[in-house]
Amino acid sequence: MKLAIDETRCKGCNLCTKVCPYKIFKEGKRLNRKGVALPELDRPERCANCRLQKLYGRQLCGVCQLTCPDQAIHWIEEEPYELHKVAIEY
Amino acid sequence: MSYEDWYRQDRLPHIFCAGCGNGTIINCTLAAIEQMDWKKEETVFVSGIGCSSRAPGYILTDSLHTTHGRAIAFATGVKMANPDLHVVVFTGDGDMAAIGGNHFIHACRRNIDLTVICMNNQIYGMTGGQGSPTTPKGCLSSTTPFGCAETPFDLCELATAAGANYVSRWTSYHVKELEKAVKVGLETPGFSFIEALTQCPTAFGRRNKFRQVSDHVEYLRSHSLLKAKRDRMLENHEQIPEDMYIVGEITRRKRPAMGVKP
Repeated sequence: MKLAIDETRCKGCNLCTKVCPYKIFKEGKRLNRKGVALPELDRPERCANCRLQKLYGRQLCGVCQLTCPDQAIHWIEEEPYELHKVAIEY
Repeated sequence: MSYEDWYRQDRLPHIFCAGCGNGTIINCTLAAIEQMDWKKEETVFVSGIGCSSRAPGYILTDSLHTTHGRAIAFATGVKMANPDLHVVVFTGDGDMAAIGGNHFIHACRRNIDLTVICMNNQIYGMTGGQGSPTTPKGCLSSTTPFGCAETPFDLCELATAAGANYVSRWTSYHVKELEKAVKVGLETPGFSFIEALTQCPTAFGRRNKFRQVSDHVEYLRSHSLLKAKRDRMLENHEQIPEDMYIVGEITRRKRPAMGVKP
């Protein structure tokens, strides 16, 4: 699973930057076609739901999705054999 | 299956302003309803007039968008005509506390089996930011340009005094708690009232030094006081700060209810 922000729905309120416990969402700088600065994802592979949803078989955390007032945040399935970035945290 | 299936995907994105908390509360409500195993044909959403009352238009069930303040009156009729339906009322503070105040207290008195979710943004947002009965003392709005001089309503105390079976208050920051509170409210037979404080960046925050949405959400977070902590402070005879408001489950009881099938 991986995080995805729906560009047609996000209005750029940046509430997700406030609620994520891992601080994955960062305030964006670049405006998109609608004139909205979408939040940027900072190392999204740390997201607990992305990593562990398959293992636990249920939704974990999910505060960003519940908080997003515009229903713009969701998780999508990864392509088979998609490249992964591995982050080692000490 | 997730709660997103309850949305009318063709109506989204909705027209609420950027940063409005109403979308968050619809998310929490639908997430709670998703856990109840209710059919879409047996669920009815009723609302009045206002920003918050646009919510049922985005939900894929039967819904009623009624006259100003009369959402609870219409919902009473729906529930009495067909007690098999599950009726949820979305309403705002200006809709329910100001114009529909009498309908609200009498629905509490009769203890009809409804779930009322009040999105309290402390102002009339849609009509241009006039002061509502829940505008806190000293806050600016377009009808109180020198600060509101009146004491606001405490809607939870009002519902408790009028006789509702389940009363709780959360904010749009406390999403998980709000979801659980709505679920308990849906399960409770009788009148259940959930007040959700939200931010209104366009009408309220702009005049009250909350330029950023996150400032207002931070205010909601830092000025909420859990009911258990309030009780503990009262036991120790500590001073409770005046600008704090109480969050949590305020009332749960088993008064005889109307509209519940035996």
